[in-house]
Amino acid sequence: MSAHHPDDMVLLDYAAGSLSLPYALAISVHLCFCSHCRNQLKKLNSIGGVLLENTKPASLEDDAFDQLMAQLESDDTKGKTAAAVKESPSLEAKKDITNPLLAYLPAPLHNLPWQQQTREISKYDLTGIINVRGFQVALQKIAAGAKVPVHTHKGHELTVILHGGFSDELGVYHAGDFIARDGSHKHSPTALQNEDCICLTILDAPIKFTGWQRIFNPFMAWH
Amino acid sequence: MLTIKAKPMNERNATKADDQEWPALLARVAQHGDKDAFRKIYSYFAPRIKAYAINQGFGQHAEVLVQEVMTNVWRNADKYSESLASVSTWIFTISRNQRIDLLRKMNRTKAEVVIETEELWQIPMEDTTVRSIQNASTEKCIRESIDTLPEEQMIAVRKVYYEGKTHQEVAEELNIPLGTLKGRLRLSLKKLRVMLEATEL
Repeated sequence: MSAHHPDDMVLLDYAAGSLSLPYALAISVHLCFCSHCRNQLKKLNSIGGVLLENTKPASLEDDAFDQLMAQLESDDTKGKTAAAVKESPSLEAKKDITNPLLAYLPAPLHNLPWQQQTREISKYDLTGIINVRGFQVALQKIAAGAKVPVHTHKGHELTVILHGGFSDELGVYHAGDFIARDGSHKHSPTALQNEDCICLTILDAPIKFTGWQRIFNPFMAWH
Repeated sequence: MLTIKAKPMNERNATKADDQEWPALLARVAQHGDKDAFRKIYSYFAPRIKAYAINQGFGQHAEVLVQEVMTNVWRNADKYSESLASVSTWIFTISRNQRIDLLRKMNRTKAEVVIETEELWQIPMEDTTVRSIQNASTEKCIRESIDTLPEEQMIAVRKVYYEGKTHQEVAEELNIPLGTLKGRLRLSLKKLRVMLEATEL
């Protein structure tokens, strides 16, 4: 179980389904590491279930059920069900919760076609899997012991550690930890010594380097 | 196969929400494609899903969401696990996901490789880390205490779950500061024992 979690209000919005997709991605990745938040989510989902029970029902067309049954039966005879199950991974039975990213990566984490940013930092862009305007989604790999130049964030930065860990001015983080930062934080993460650190990062504005390293900005830019 | 006649449901059962029958009815749908069982589930949940869709702003498309959700219930009945959630919570999570999925499809301009909604909001069959008895008692507690929430907290919770609005939007609509809204939500989560008393503001 990880030690750094999303705020309860963020989990609440996730359960309610009003969280933006990029945030939902970060939460869903954190959940596959974190039984504490999975447990919280279950309770939050239950609120939705109880509210559904307590909702004043709206009336449906008299033949709505028959129409649905006719549709379902016609789909079944056309064999749509079997085809649909094969096409969509989402319909496969899920035992435990799994890391949703893995199905969209061309190779295991360590063998990805990483784009080198500096000698010690590389990136694998994933913006396309969410494709929400204004958000940048990527995996970042920081070599064991390497330091990312000091930077602040113009908007918000969400980080979920997938492998290894890093430390910064505010703490030490390990696999599964969920870290949310905004413009008020200035930090320079350093990967832990023993292994490379791989994180999912989601930005809603480009990061801004504050030290002399800002000359690196063009190389570090997301586009 | 059981039929309505073989096992009649009285009026009370037909309208009572936490009915012990729901998992059995779903099992009949899963194992035998039992239409009578499915009709009972439909007649209780479909009008509520429609109310949810209307609140979420689906307007005249509300029944599209209802049919999507119920299709999903029919096809995935075998994936329901009593150990993980009550039937109403399971159907709520399907409704939430189908709502997001429909909205995503409407806004999608071209075929893209994008992550599936069901991957972002996973509905697992089991979670080996949590015991089922815990779930049942949590749900029971929420069901019993939700009616005791002060009106202002109830309104806040409802708006967040049933109107798909951000906290900022809800705060503006209620004409209260964002911090006040968050305070009400946190208090309600404590009352429902979703948040422990020890988790301070």
